[in-house]
Amino acid sequence: MKRQMLPPPANGKRVIPYLMAGDPDLETTRALLLGAKEEKVWAVELGVPFSDPTADGPVIQQAANRALSSKTSLRSLLSWLSKIPRNERPPIFLMTYFNLFLALGLEDFVEQAQKTGGIVGAVIPDLSYEDSHNVRKVFHEGGLSLIPFVAPTTSLARMKRIVATSEEFIYLVSLLGTTGKELSETGDVSRCVSKIREMTSSPVCVGFGIQTPSTAENVLKFADGVIVGSRLVQDERDPVRWKALLASFCNAARTVPAGSVS
Amino acid sequence: MSDSSRMAAAMRRPSSLPDRNGYFGEYGGRFVSESLMEALYELEAAFRKAWADPTYHREMNEVYRDFVGRATPLYFAEGLTRKLGGARIYLKREDLNHTGAHKINNTVGQALLALRMRKKRLIAETGAGQHGVATATVAARYGFECDVYMGSEDARRQSLNVFRMNLLGATVKPVDSGTKTLKDAISEALRDWSHSVLSTHYVLGTAFGPHPFPLIVRSFQSVIGREARKQILRKEGRLPDALIACVGGGSNSMGLFFPFLSDLECVLYGVEAGGRSLKPGEHAARFQTGKVGVLQGSRTYVLQDGDGQIEKTHSVSAGLDYSAVGPELAYYHDSGRISFVSVSDDEALEAFETLGKTEGILPALESSHAIAWAIRKARDLGPDRVLVVNLSGRGDKDVMEVARIKGVSFS
Repeated sequence: MKRQMLPPPANGKRVIPYLMAGDPDLETTRALLLGAKEEKVWAVELGVPFSDPTADGPVIQQAANRALSSKTSLRSLLSWLSKIPRNERPPIFLMTYFNLFLALGLEDFVEQAQKTGGIVGAVIPDLSYEDSHNVRKVFHEGGLSLIPFVAPTTSLARMKRIVATSEEFIYLVSLLGTTGKELSETGDVSRCVSKIREMTSSPVCVGFGIQTPSTAENVLKFADGVIVGSRLVQDERDPVRWKALLASFCNAARTVPAGSVS
Repeated sequence: MSDSSRMAAAMRRPSSLPDRNGYFGEYGGRFVSESLMEALYELEAAFRKAWADPTYHREMNEVYRDFVGRATPLYFAEGLTRKLGGARIYLKREDLNHTGAHKINNTVGQALLALRMRKKRLIAETGAGQHGVATATVAARYGFECDVYMGSEDARRQSLNVFRMNLLGATVKPVDSGTKTLKDAISEALRDWSHSVLSTHYVLGTAFGPHPFPLIVRSFQSVIGREARKQILRKEGRLPDALIACVGGGSNSMGLFFPFLSDLECVLYGVEAGGRSLKPGEHAARFQTGKVGVLQGSRTYVLQDGDGQIEKTHSVSAGLDYSAVGPELAYYHDSGRISFVSVSDDEALEAFETLGKTEGILPALESSHAIAWAIRKARDLGPDRVLVVNLSGRGDKDVMEVARIKGVSFS
């Protein structure tokens, strides 16, 4: 199955909200997906709860616990998603830990994701580049993207290998650490984006530490997208408030001119 | 492949494993976030360089001798042997190490590595507190800042060890997430490390986690098996018929077994925690009911439900109470080189008391699992047979817990 890249937004500046599926129930998730669709986000990152989320801070850990209490699993989520009309949800990247994919079986996952329609790929924070080759092969054969990670500590030699594969975007981990902290100084991230740009034309999206619309705006001056996680997750049990907050991030992104660099 | 040819393939060169990406066959790897990857490469390079350097080994051996108290004795357990009337039982006395368990073999090695890497701070996870105390000890000895993550439930049960770590100058950070035990302490230590990698070394306590930790910890702990091999040859003039060790993550078992892997005449028994029963949540016998998965950096056998969520575990001994197992052990499980069995809470508690009464030694409840299996085996074997059991730690830390279980209260 051929992978088709998502079209970029008008000014090339992507906002990707992260939300935890099933927090506190799937009805709420449905309302959030619709809200994100109405805000015309480029894509959403849809978290699937895992019992031991080593890359997440307390806000997302607690969201995962609530979602686990409502019995959200990768399998049940995929079948639920296939019943939500395509015009009520943006393109989706699933975000969760590798064990859940293994437990379902990689081939089964790909098959069910295809049936669902609108699942573009997956973000797997504990799947290192070195361990990812077979997974990428299976994903690509099924038309799915496996999002590569780069961190400010990544060496140039490894960065070159990591970004060589053509995917929907490159996930730049802005902070050294886990989700849920504010990104105060963007110098490291900006330098890292410049290095990646010399190696590939894939869009670079920055995640971890995007807590306010003004941080998002600053980052989008040099990056192609922001992933907004913990800040939105804090409000995700209230879809109205969540949508208003998301709108403020989207508005900030729209004010950034195309192709701007800081 | 037949069992014997699989075994032969596995036995060819144990020291050639893991491969460059940290795999023992299909187990191992580095399943961590990208922020940690360069730190793992840095650590591996530092370890390989140090391991090849005679000065490093001289330094480590001096610390082992003068600070830790090595070599530990291989002790003939005459009273226990007489009581059982079967095979001759030897105990490798890791309980006599400074801080009371084998854990310090590894923390000394890693502290010396951290010095070479010019790190200022050590972090560690701990379950019962033994590894936390061993890390706090070397941090004090070498002047590192030290933070130890401990599940809040474990910290409550092992408050004395929390106080010991504080006395040694370390800060204990209780972890309130998940099951509030060892697994959650590891997750929190990984989270800390992912934003502190530049200044901090993570002293992982067992032969688990992302590569190179399984390699590093096994290498430091294999001093146990190297000594035991020499000692038994001196005392009995031959190799033992079987070696027995309890299995939590795998540090004391791989430490004892590694130097014997090529001695195919020695049967190797890894003893897991059978807990209250083999129902989900009541034990930590990964090889009995676990499935291959990925947890906290490593692909291995993991106790999990059908959706891939990690199952709760239980054992009377906190050090065995963990839902995954070291990747090298998983490899030798599949090859058949190591046999895995499980022992219940009750049987371990009985062994704890038996060793106390026959030998005057109170073993750690972890080690009591290995003793329990030795008791079962020895009875079936003749006096011409020899068993070596790893007495990985002393039982002082468990005395209060045993009293609680027996309904003894102190006013």
